[in-house]
Amino acid sequence: MLEVHGLTAGYGGNPVLEDVRIEIGRGKLVGLLGANNAGKSTFINCLSGVVPASSGRILFEGEDITRLSPKSRVERGIIQVPEGRLVFPDMSVRENLLLGGVNATARPRRAERIDYVLDLLPRLKERIGQAAGTLSGGEQQMLAIGRGLVAEPRLLMLDEPSLGLAPRFVQYVFEIIDKLHADGLTVLLVEQNLNLTLRHSDYCYVLERGRVVVEGVSAHVKDDPRTKSAYLGL
Amino acid sequence: MKSEFFTVLRSPVFWGAIILLALGPFVLPSYYLHIATLTLIYIALASSWNIVGGIGGQISLAHSLFVGTGAVLSSALLLKLGINMWLGMVIAALVSGLMGAIISFIDFRFRLGHLSFALITLAFAEMGEIIVIGTEALGGASGLFLPKDKGDLLAFQFGSGAGIFWVMLTLAVGAILINLAVLNLPLGFYLRTIRDNEAAAQAIGVNILRNKTIAMVISAMFTSVIGTAYARYLTFVDPYQLASPVLTVEIVLIATVGGLGKAFGPALGAVLLIPLGEILRGKLGGSLPGLHYFVYGAVVIAVILATPRGLLPALQSRLASWRGSAKSEAKKPSIAAPGA
Repeated sequence: MLEVHGLTAGYGGNPVLEDVRIEIGRGKLVGLLGANNAGKSTFINCLSGVVPASSGRILFEGEDITRLSPKSRVERGIIQVPEGRLVFPDMSVRENLLLGGVNATARPRRAERIDYVLDLLPRLKERIGQAAGTLSGGEQQMLAIGRGLVAEPRLLMLDEPSLGLAPRFVQYVFEIIDKLHADGLTVLLVEQNLNLTLRHSDYCYVLERGRVVVEGVSAHVKDDPRTKSAYLGL
Repeated sequence: MKSEFFTVLRSPVFWGAIILLALGPFVLPSYYLHIATLTLIYIALASSWNIVGGIGGQISLAHSLFVGTGAVLSSALLLKLGINMWLGMVIAALVSGLMGAIISFIDFRFRLGHLSFALITLAFAEMGEIIVIGTEALGGASGLFLPKDKGDLLAFQFGSGAGIFWVMLTLAVGAILINLAVLNLPLGFYLRTIRDNEAAAQAIGVNILRNKTIAMVISAMFTSVIGTAYARYLTFVDPYQLASPVLTVEIVLIATVGGLGKAFGPALGAVLLIPLGEILRGKLGGSLPGLHYFVYGAVVIAVILATPRGLLPALQSRLASWRGSAKSEAKKPSIAAPGA
């Protein structure tokens, strides 16, 4: 579904990502692991088009999308749930969800998608008229995921959904991700949380200083000594 | 999404207030009519700026460029080429819109942050002032004198103080209505997403360049039209007044004190600050030089410290909590739901 070949990107000359090669098959839950500064967020921002690639190619369903605008990528179903649960704080939960479906592809079925999200995340239903900024951190993360789901993703990219959440919310977020995966959605999960990600994903890549140092079926990645060293920076 | 725009359009209070204001010239002595007219001009200017600076969160310091274009260009076209000022107004508005679009494109192309955007727009405004002062055809440093206002509507003349007062009232109401319309169109929601978080806006597929450009062009064109009317009101088109970045600073101050991003916020700021500034100058200007500025500055600091998000939001939340406490006496406050 998604193929990334030799992707290099960075800010102002010094590359953050070097020659990254990644493949995500349809319906897979793929994890991208790495410590702080490994280049995880830059990678996801390259896929969504917010950060331009300096070289390399990104293919989505066989189409070269390397030079497409973020908006065109959203219309193709590449949906990012940004790090730090960036909801729009002054707007209500409903308005946030509606804004998830403003792209041309999702718009016609926006009302149904919102119903689906509210069934999946009943907490949001209780909070529907409340300003998003007044929600708890966990609820905001659910809203950010819900907003992404309204956009009718074909590939859902979650950037550190567990960051800064209480443990039971982390558990809940991963349950939601499992459910989406079981329903056939393709998910790219970018995380620092090593054990949880390895337990829930099919396949994993480990980034270290902008390069893929380990990849493989999640169970194998777990036992690979290089995974630990990538994390500990040894 | 609820439509405040139509609520206001249908509101008898809104139109009643406008009709009452329109009667102003019949009762106000000329000094107070001048202050009222000036207040309306600044309501219009600050509300126009609010589309970009408040709703869109792009702190543009280039707006003196648009006021200046509206004032100086249309006046120069009339005086040097004999072009009717109505047409001059349209030409100036188109030029301003084009400049606004170019600024938006530069902002997008070079991915300027908020600070860089403010500084670059300020640089454009400084350049604009220098160009006007250095160009004899635009009146140069000595400015331009418009012919006496004889009340010939076809020549963009509105007669007495009453005529120009009504023009400014129309522009002020127009600017507020444009704000309301923008806020209730998808454009307004997109602008707010961009203001709140550009990365999140992109993640949901909002076209950043397009929405910023539309906001900037609307704001620039309307500001330019106000500039043309302002020039007509002053008769003497002084580049140091109408093309100076100091004017933008006043506009930004008024919008901020009133409440950024709210349709009626900038209007409230102008209603407070313009009469205050004028009256202080009238009362204190003759005594100790600079004293009126000192008092004005002290009042502005006090207001901003007391209501950091602006006067209007502060008044609204005060009103809401007053209503809420009246309600909660009848009804017990609901217990917060436990964590999931």
